[in-house]
Amino acid sequence: MLTVACDAKGNAAVEPFIAAAHQQHPSVIDQQLLVAELYDTRNVPAAFWIDESGRIVRAADPIYAQRRNRETGEVAINTEYLDAVRDWVAKGRGSAFVMDASRLDTRLPELEFDDVTAAAHFHLGTYLAQHGEAAEALVYFKRAHALRPENWTYKRQAWSFGDIERDYGTTFQEAVKDPASGPFYPPLDLTD
Amino acid sequence: MPKATLLYQDAETQVDAARIDGDQLWLALSGLEAATGWDLEPEGVCKSGICVPVPDARRSELIRDDLFNLTAFADLIQQPVAHDKKNSIWYFGPAGWEWKSRLTSRHAPDFTLPDLAGQSHSLSELRGKKVFLLFWASW
Repeated sequence: MLTVACDAKGNAAVEPFIAAAHQQHPSVIDQQLLVAELYDTRNVPAAFWIDESGRIVRAADPIYAQRRNRETGEVAINTEYLDAVRDWVAKGRGSAFVMDASRLDTRLPELEFDDVTAAAHFHLGTYLAQHGEAAEALVYFKRAHALRPENWTYKRQAWSFGDIERDYGTTFQEAVKDPASGPFYPPLDLTD
Repeated sequence: MPKATLLYQDAETQVDAARIDGDQLWLALSGLEAATGWDLEPEGVCKSGICVPVPDARRSELIRDDLFNLTAFADLIQQPVAHDKKNSIWYFGPAGWEWKSRLTSRHAPDFTLPDLAGQSHSLSELRGKKVFLLFWASW
C-alpha cells in the first residue's frame, strides 16, 4: 500500500489528514503533481492495482474506504470494494476484478499532445501560484482547463488557490453539471 | 543578458537567455548542457544516451552561430511548452517518446517522492509485491 497526496500546497495542507489516518504504509507527497500526471489521474481519489511484476492490472478507481448512506447519513466501511481487493490479493491475475485490455484502454486512454500541453500549463500555473503570483497563475490554469475540461484535478487544485466564483465565474455545482467536463468520477464498474 | 527561469519538468534553473523572441527561447550552446542536460554532439542533440538527429531542413531554426533554440527543439521532440512572459518562465514537459507509451505499456511508471519527514520512497522498492496505489488530496 502506497498513498500519494497530490497537493500543490504541500505538507501544511496534507499533514492533518496523514496524522489522523495513523497510516502504517508509506505516505508520500507530490507537491508538483508530476506523479498525478504520470498516471493521468483526473480526480481524487484514484486507486491503481499493480501486480508483482510492476504491471497495472486495475486503474483509476474513484474509491473511498468509507461510504455515507445519503438517506440515513450513516457511514460504513466500503466492504464491496474491500472484498474486491481481497479477492485480487488471493487470486492474483485470476481475480474477476482484474481489468482486461479493453477496460484498461478505457481507464488509461492513449495520451494526445493536448493532454501534455494541458499538463504543462497546469504545472506553470502551479509554480506561479506557489510563488505568490496567483493572478498570473489563473491564465495558465484556465488554458489547462480549456484544453482538458474533463480533468478535475486541474480544476480543483486551481480553485484551491483562489475563489472559484470570482476567478472562474462558476460554482462547484455549476461546474459539475457542465457537459464539457464529463463525469466527476468514472463509473466504478466493479462487477461488470 | 536577460534572465529566464527554466522549469525542465522537476528541475528548476535560472539561465541567461541569449535571445527571447516572443515565445522562443534561445540559450548559448556553451550553457545548454548545464541548463537542460542536452548537449550538441556530432550525432545530434544528446542527453543520457539518447541522441536526436538535427534534420538539415530545421538546422537553421535550431542552431544559429553559437545559439540554440530550446523551444524549437521542444517542437521537434514533441515536448509541450508553457511560457509566462511577465515573469520570464518557461515550463518544458516530457518528450514525445516519454509520454506516448507511458501508460499504454501498462507498466506502472516508477517515481520517488518524499513523505512528511522528508524520507524518499520509490514505487520500485515494492516490486515483487502487489501494490495498492492510492492518489488523494486535501482540496
